[in-house]
Amino acid sequence: MSLSAYISRDQRSGLVGSLLLSCLLIAVGLLVVYFGQRYQLRIVYAAYVNLLVVLGLQVFMGNANITNLSHSAFMGIGAYVAAICVTPVKIKAISLPQAPWGLNAFALDPWVSAFIAIAITALLAWLVGLIITRLSGIGATIVSLALLVIVHSIFLHRTDIFKGKQAFFGIPQVFDINSILIISVCAIFVARAFRESHWGIQLRASADDEVGARSMGVNVYRVRLIAWVLGSVFLAVAGISYAYFLGTISARPFYFTHVFLTVAMLILGGMRTVTGAVLGTLLISFGLEGVRYLETGPELLGIKLPELLGLSGIMLGVVIVVTMAFRSSGITGNTEIEQLFNRWRR
Amino acid sequence: MLELHNVRVYHGPIEAVHGLSVSVSEGQCVVLLGPNGAGKTSTLSAIAGVASSRGQITFNGHDLEGLSIEERQRLGIALAPEGRRIFSNLSVRENLLIGAATRTDRPGVASDIDYWFSTFPVLHERSDQAAGTLSGGEQQMLTIARALMSKPRILLLDEPSLGLAPLICKQIFALIDSLKAQGMTILLVEQNVRDALQLADYGYMLNSGNLMSEGDRETLSRQGASMSTLTGINHT
Amino acid sequence: MDYAIQQVLNALSFGAEYALLALGLAIVFSIMGLVNFAHGEIIAAGGYSMFAITSLLTGNPFVVIVGALLVAVLASVLLERVAFRPVRYADASTGLLTAFGVSMILQNLFLLLVSPRPIAITNLYFLNWPIEVAGVQISTLQVFETVTTAIAICLLVVFLKKSSFGIAMRAASLDFEMVRLMGIRANRVVAVAFAVSGLLAGLACIFIMARRGSVDPTFGFNPVLKAFVACVLGGFGSLPGAVLGGFLLGAIEVGMLVLLPQSYGGMKEAFVFGIVALILVWRPDGILSPAVEKGDKL
Ligand SMILES: Nc1ncnc2c1ncn2[C@@H]1O[C@H](COP(=O)(O)OP(=O)(O)OP(=O)(O)O)[C@@H](O)[C@H]1O
Ligand SMILES: [Mg+2]
Repeated sequence: MSLSAYISRDQRSGLVGSLLLSCLLIAVGLLVVYFGQRYQLRIVYAAYVNLLVVLGLQVFMGNANITNLSHSAFMGIGAYVAAICVTPVKIKAISLPQAPWGLNAFALDPWVSAFIAIAITALLAWLVGLIITRLSGIGATIVSLALLVIVHSIFLHRTDIFKGKQAFFGIPQVFDINSILIISVCAIFVARAFRESHWGIQLRASADDEVGARSMGVNVYRVRLIAWVLGSVFLAVAGISYAYFLGTISARPFYFTHVFLTVAMLILGGMRTVTGAVLGTLLISFGLEGVRYLETGPELLGIKLPELLGLSGIMLGVVIVVTMAFRSSGITGNTEIEQLFNRWRR
Repeated sequence: MLELHNVRVYHGPIEAVHGLSVSVSEGQCVVLLGPNGAGKTSTLSAIAGVASSRGQITFNGHDLEGLSIEERQRLGIALAPEGRRIFSNLSVRENLLIGAATRTDRPGVASDIDYWFSTFPVLHERSDQAAGTLSGGEQQMLTIARALMSKPRILLLDEPSLGLAPLICKQIFALIDSLKAQGMTILLVEQNVRDALQLADYGYMLNSGNLMSEGDRETLSRQGASMSTLTGINHT
Repeated sequence: MDYAIQQVLNALSFGAEYALLALGLAIVFSIMGLVNFAHGEIIAAGGYSMFAITSLLTGNPFVVIVGALLVAVLASVLLERVAFRPVRYADASTGLLTAFGVSMILQNLFLLLVSPRPIAITNLYFLNWPIEVAGVQISTLQVFETVTTAIAICLLVVFLKKSSFGIAMRAASLDFEMVRLMGIRANRVVAVAFAVSGLLAGLACIFIMARRGSVDPTFGFNPVLKAFVACVLGGFGSLPGAVLGGFLLGAIEVGMLVLLPQSYGGMKEAFVFGIVALILVWRPDGILSPAVEKGDKL
């Protein structure tokens, strides 16, 4: 029996697309592994973590067309839960002496910790999702924003568990660039598979015409919830990958700056497609490195430039505004990578 | 006065009207007929500037190309749209006032409001009520009155009898007749073929975005039998 | 008793601030469906203009106040022209994301051009002094704030009910296209909506400044976040809803301050937002959600 008996034409096309995108990711990864320095390795690693976040965003926001701003909070939850589970007891005795519920009295191996982190994040997302998926567009966005604020203030306030503004240190650094490469390739296949799945198609249909989809028997709330929880799994994995690579985390990176950064990535690339998510992430990640360099006030062609704090934020804002004004569906619009190739061939 | 030459109307990527030429001269009442989805509303929308179109539309010698909705209205094109679209939370009086937003002669506006109130005493009784509480027929009268408050040079009237009881329809057609008698130029869209043709000086018959036939009252009436099969409306 | 009165005044003055901001958001939203995230930067622009006027022209508080109001109005109208006009007829999420981008640009411009650190502006402190009324200690600022907001709301109601332009704006919130079909210029309606919105933001800016005494790039962010919540609570796009939501939020906040033990002070926001989320579960479209109105389509 051939494969095509089991999967649809779109899904086969999705497999091809995912393969192409994976090749791109692996190529960038190999380049930096063989030719890059430590500093560049870190940039690529960060870019791939953000790719996981943006893919997680794409799964819900892109398919359901509801702007979500809480994603960095879920990433933070994933990172902190994994960190609390995996950090050795000896270190926790120093860093979290007053932790409640015996949180500082155990340590698990990284795989179990990661699993627990994903499960807890998904569970919380499911609970929140019960509310958020029922709200209309703007209501959902504002509640997601409220969620971000709530989670952040809990991180800051419960210093006995999360250490607040200080660094949560001592997390075993078990991930390297190869791990993130494997994870992001898997993530691409999953995100694309969801997009072309029965649920993904229903969700996209409901985004275009909610009433119409409903009248065709689509349970809009349910498919939204599925996408929301699946997205949260991506975010948890991103958080875990972040913690397992750096070894220290704090509440700050899981707040507005990161929210804006990743939303800009998704918008620029085009939130309706997985290709757009990848493209946007890579363009902004590497583009911003250039801007950050300018920000520090370097010497160019013998001229000492002034320090330009805030330049990267301005660039991100400009990217969003210009994209929205001239091509609100982002660079890729509705076209996935393999469809683009097909068009060229013809 | 109003000339459409080879006009194509688009709703996004969809072409709803495929090259239509229509001509309305001063003081005439011209009617557009056709079944559901024929492109009648689309044609009026293109004239009013609500839908995008290609081809040439001229009004009193002005090319309407590139003019916004409000600029076209200011040239004297008033639309009483399909489905009425009164401002339901605003009072009846406020609806009429908004119709006169482009006018600067306050006493004139006030006397026009009084005129409509005397023409439709129901509107007078309800003048401070939310327009959404009016009945369908009353809303239709308000829609027409609102469109005329701006003292337009042409009135685009989209299915004024839609969903109304026969008695109310009669009133509406009587109103159109009296407007015509006062010299108002009217482009009327109707599915109520018989009544519409009684008013019309000239008519165009559309189907799925194409012109099927055109002619004066007699010509179109003669083709009535074939038309009634198209429109599905019994023509007796 | 004293304590109760003070807390009620507290709630009123917080509520007034949120109501002013929420009204500004709601006016723009009701007319063009835009969720203006950059509203906070309008407030910040007002704050920075106070600094500019004080250091370049004069410290006269009257001039500073009028100047800040003017700058807020101009900034709001300018933003519409430059950034929001291209996306005016686009869908809601396009507008929302554009507003995000604008907000980021402005915040970082303040950071780049002025300073990332707070800048002190103290010449409005005089609005805020303690007085005793019938044996109860209250702050004049709270009284000013509540009274000004009440006056502003009344004026707005009169404008919307009595002036022909106000009627057009109310109509535009029901069916913008139909208003244009009446020959009313869309650009003008939108510009006035942004001007009113900016003016309300300017008023709020004055009171926030009189209380805080300094401005930084994220000055407007928290107040506007609250204003959003107030809008959602009341029903997005409904003007009475915005006012109701603002005062309700003020009451919830003060209630939390009173009820929560000191050690949970840092969690106030979390509790407030949590309660708001619960209210939304009860009424997903807000308490006074406006009727979705496109006339009587058959
Ligand atoms: N906003 C729109 N978007 C997409 N397609 C549209 C839109 N409005 C109309 N159409 C399509 O354009 C075609 C013509 O529609 P139109 O409303 O002009 O017909 P009509 O003659 O007025 O019909 P009716 O008698 O039902 O009012 C139809 O096929 C319709 O589906
Ligand atoms: Mg029609």
